[in-house]
Amino acid sequence: MSNNTDYHQFIDNEEGWVDRRIFWEEEIYEQELKQIFAKSWQFIAHDSMIPNANDFYTTYMGEDGVIGARQKDGSVKVFLNSCPHRGNKFCFADEGNTRSFICNYHGWSFGIDGKLGALANEHVYDEGDIDKEKWSPKQARVDSYKGLIFATFDENAPTLDEWLGDFKWYMDMMFDNDGETEFINGGIKSYVNANWKFGVENFIGDAYHALWNHDSGLKAMNNGEGFGPAVTENSFHASVNGHGWEFGTDGYADVIINGSERWVEYVRDVLKPKIKDKYGELRSNIFGSLASVSLFPNISFLPGIQTFRVWLPRGPKKLELRIFTIVNKNMPEDLKQEVNNGCMMTFNPAGVLEMDDGENWEGNTAVNKGYLTRLEKLHYGCGITREIEHEELPGIIYKGQFNDANQRHFYTRWADLMNADSWDDVPTRYTPRHTKTTK
Amino acid sequence: MTNLSEKPAVPASMELTFEVEQFLYKEARLLDTEEFHIWLGLLTEDIHYWMPYRYQRYRKNHVEPTVNDQSYYNDNMHNLERRVLRNDTGTCWSEDPATRSSHVISNIEVEHTDNPNEYRVYSLTTVNRNMNEDEEHLMVGHRTDILRRVDGQLKLAKRKIILDQNIFMNKSLNVFL
Repeated sequence: MSNNTDYHQFIDNEEGWVDRRIFWEEEIYEQELKQIFAKSWQFIAHDSMIPNANDFYTTYMGEDGVIGARQKDGSVKVFLNSCPHRGNKFCFADEGNTRSFICNYHGWSFGIDGKLGALANEHVYDEGDIDKEKWSPKQARVDSYKGLIFATFDENAPTLDEWLGDFKWYMDMMFDNDGETEFINGGIKSYVNANWKFGVENFIGDAYHALWNHDSGLKAMNNGEGFGPAVTENSFHASVNGHGWEFGTDGYADVIINGSERWVEYVRDVLKPKIKDKYGELRSNIFGSLASVSLFPNISFLPGIQTFRVWLPRGPKKLELRIFTIVNKNMPEDLKQEVNNGCMMTFNPAGVLEMDDGENWEGNTAVNKGYLTRLEKLHYGCGITREIEHEELPGIIYKGQFNDANQRHFYTRWADLMNADSWDDVPTRYTPRHTKTTK
Repeated sequence: MTNLSEKPAVPASMELTFEVEQFLYKEARLLDTEEFHIWLGLLTEDIHYWMPYRYQRYRKNHVEPTVNDQSYYNDNMHNLERRVLRNDTGTCWSEDPATRSSHVISNIEVEHTDNPNEYRVYSLTTVNRNMNEDEEHLMVGHRTDILRRVDGQLKLAKRKIILDQNIFMNKSLNVFL
C-alpha cells in the first residue's frame, strides 16, 4: 500500500461492510504501526502497578518496546527499551524496582528517567565521542486519567483529555465510582493467533456474540442459567473518537457473570447508590449491566466483570493479550480477592468465557489465507439505521446494544488515522458536549 | 492441611510410591479421555487447584506468586465444577470437535508429611494439546501435590502447578494440567 492509499476504501458505512484484507495484509499492518501506534495514546500501566519511586513496567506501543518508570518526584516517564549503541533491549524483566538499567551487551547504563548514564569501561571513549543527552533513548509524552497511565510518541497528537473527549463521561463510572481504583498483582500475558483488531472490535460493541458463543460460559458462572432473550430496548452503543461503549441499563448482567454473590450485593448496596449520587440515575443503571468497552486503539474492559486488557499487535496475524483485574482501592480486601477470582474464572486464558473468544478470532484471521476468501467482504450492517439523539448520552449514539455501530465507528476512526498526514486531517466525528476540543 | 513449603522429608516406600504413581497415571488418563466427573471424584471436597502466574523479574526483584494475585487457576471444588459444567452444557462450541490431549506424568517423588494421612508428591506434567486441523501446543508444568488418604483411597487435596512459560503461548488453557 502506498501512502496515497485511501483507507476508507476498506470500509463502507452506507452498505455496512469491512474489507477482510485489513486483517491480513502485511503492508496494511506496517501502515498501522506508523499511522495508528506511532500516533495514538496507548495504555502503559495503572498507577498501582508502579506505586513507588524506581518501580518500572515493560510493555509495547505497537511493536516498540517501552519502559514505564516511576520517578522520584512521582511522575512517570516512558521511553524506548532499546540501547542506542547497538539496539538491544536493556531491560528484560516484566516489572520490578531498580535505580538503573544496564544493557547486557556493552554495559551502557540508563537511569530510571531513561537518560544514558555511565558506560562500562568508559575510558575507551575519548572526550567528545558521545553526547549522552543526545544518545539517550527516545522519550514519549506521558499523561494519565484516573489512575490509567497513557503515552504517545507523537509530539503533535492532541492532549489525552481531547483524545478521550466525552468518553470520560462514561469512563468515570468505572474508574471513579468510589474513589481510586487499583490493579490486582499479575498481568497474565498470552498469544492469540489473530489480528489485534478482532479483540478490540469484539469488546467495543459485540454484545451479540455473547448470547450464542458464551452460553456455556455464562451457564457455568450462573448456576446453569443462560442469558435471557436479547433486549434491544433501553440499551445503546456510544462512540467517541473511535472509542466505544455498548451497554444495557438493567443493571446486573456483567456483575452476575463475575460469579460472586457478595460482589452483586456490594454493587447493589454500595456502588450503585454512590454512582447515582455522583453521576445520576442513568449511569448507576448502566454500571454492571451487560456491557463492554474498548478505547481506541487497543484497550478494553468490562465494567462489572472487572477485566481490563490490552491487545498488543504482533504482526497482522498475531496479538499478545495482557489482562489485568481492576478493583476499587477501598473495597474490603477479601472482596477484592473474590472479584479477582471471578475475573480469572471468566477472563483469563483458562477463563470459561475467554476460551471461546480466542477460537473465533483465530478463525476470523486464518481463513484469509485463502486468496478468494479474503476478497470477500464482512458484514457490519446490524442496526445501521438506528442512530438517535439522546438527551443525556454523549457521543454518537445508536439504539440497541445488539448493533455493529461502535465497530463501524472504530473502523472509521482507524481509516481517518491511516489516511492522515497531520492531525488537521483527522475529523472529530461527534459533537462534544462535555469537552472542549481544538478542532 | 500440610504446608507445601515444609521441609523434608521422609521418602516413601516403593509400595507407596507405586500406589501414588498409579493414582497420577489414572488421573492423567481420565483427563485425556474427558471423564471429568470421575476426575472430580478423585479430589477432596476442600481441593485447592492452583496455577499461579509466573512473573518474569530480575533475580534481585524476585517475588513468589500468592493466591491473592492473578492466577490461571485458583479453584475450589465449586469453581472446578463450574468448568466441568461448561463442558456439559451442550453449547460449548469450542470443544466440539473435541480437543485431543495427552498428559505425560514423570519425575514423580513421594514424601511423607507431618500428617500421616497426607503425602507430598512432586511431578512433572507434560501436556500435548492438539485441536482443530493442526494446532499443537506443548505445556510443561512442575506440580507439587498433597495427596490425602480418605477411607483408604488416595485423593488429591492440593495442587500447585508452575508453568515454564512467561507469555502463555496459546489462545486457551482448556485442559487441566
